Amino acid sequence: MSIRSGGLQRKSKASQEIPSSSMADIAFLLLIFFMVSTVFQKDKKREILWPEAEASEKIDEKQKDILNIWMETNGDVYINDLHWEMEEVRAVVRPLFADNQQLVISIRSDQNVPYRHIDLLQKELQGAGALRVVFAAELEQDIIRERR
Amino acid sequence: MAVLGSKKSKVSDEIPSSSMADIAFLLLIFFLVTTTFPKDKGLAIVLPEQQAEQDVSQKNVLHIIINPSGTVTIKRGESQQEQQVRPDDVEAIWRQGFAENENLIAAVKTHPEAAYRFMVDVLDALHSAGAKKISLQLLEE
Repeated sequence: MSIRSGGLQRKSKASQEIPSSSMADIAFLLLIFFMVSTVFQKDKKREILWPEAEASEKIDEKQKDILNIWMETNGDVYINDLHWEMEEVRAVVRPLFADNQQLVISIRSDQNVPYRHIDLLQKELQGAGALRVVFAAELEQDIIRERR
Repeated sequence: MAVLGSKKSKVSDEIPSSSMADIAFLLLIFFLVTTTFPKDKGLAIVLPEQQAEQDVSQKNVLHIIINPSGTVTIKRGESQQEQQVRPDDVEAIWRQGFAENENLIAAVKTHPEAAYRFMVDVLDALHSAGAKKISLQLLEE
């Protein structure tokens, strides 16, 4: 049982440094863990046929300044994944607009919605004071028209 | 020469694994920086304030009436003359009207049962023509 000096010497040959090659594995493990566990707040995908417009331009606003209002073909209104009656829109949008004066409303409506629903929605937004509105539309690309 | 050869063989013949992480992170950061998410697109418009109706002279108004079938009826100011066109033609009509009268206002009146896309088509034509004064209304019978 006596410890020979040779034995001690052999043990000290184990490296004293933290193995740097496994650092990457740890980093990637953390990365993948956070990637998987992160949930982005995103609206539920809705079955919407986008209207098309050639003149549609990119909305140069920060994501937090855009409020999406979805409208389905039957005129149902959804804000932040919740269904609201048309008369309630005003009360929903007003506090959001009060919090953020930069708010832009993006009306994401199906292309076949009868216009009376859109008109009511506009009136509700006017009532809430949110006047900057974008009619979300896909860029129409198949027809290239001559521009003067 | 034999001695030299044996000395050279002490260089490790493995790919250094410690730099693998650096390469991976470099790629990661490169793709992070170069990725652009598609931005939302649409036709921007500013609604008028509530109860901010303005009286405008009829001669400055270009009435654009959108019918449920998708056809567009154009009425110029005071004249009772009507003109049936397609939504795409509105662009040329606006350009012509605007060249004659710089104070022209486009009054887009959509029938309550007309599909939203027809209104977007007309709004698209007006945006393409550079129209700034646009009024969106519901067609009253």
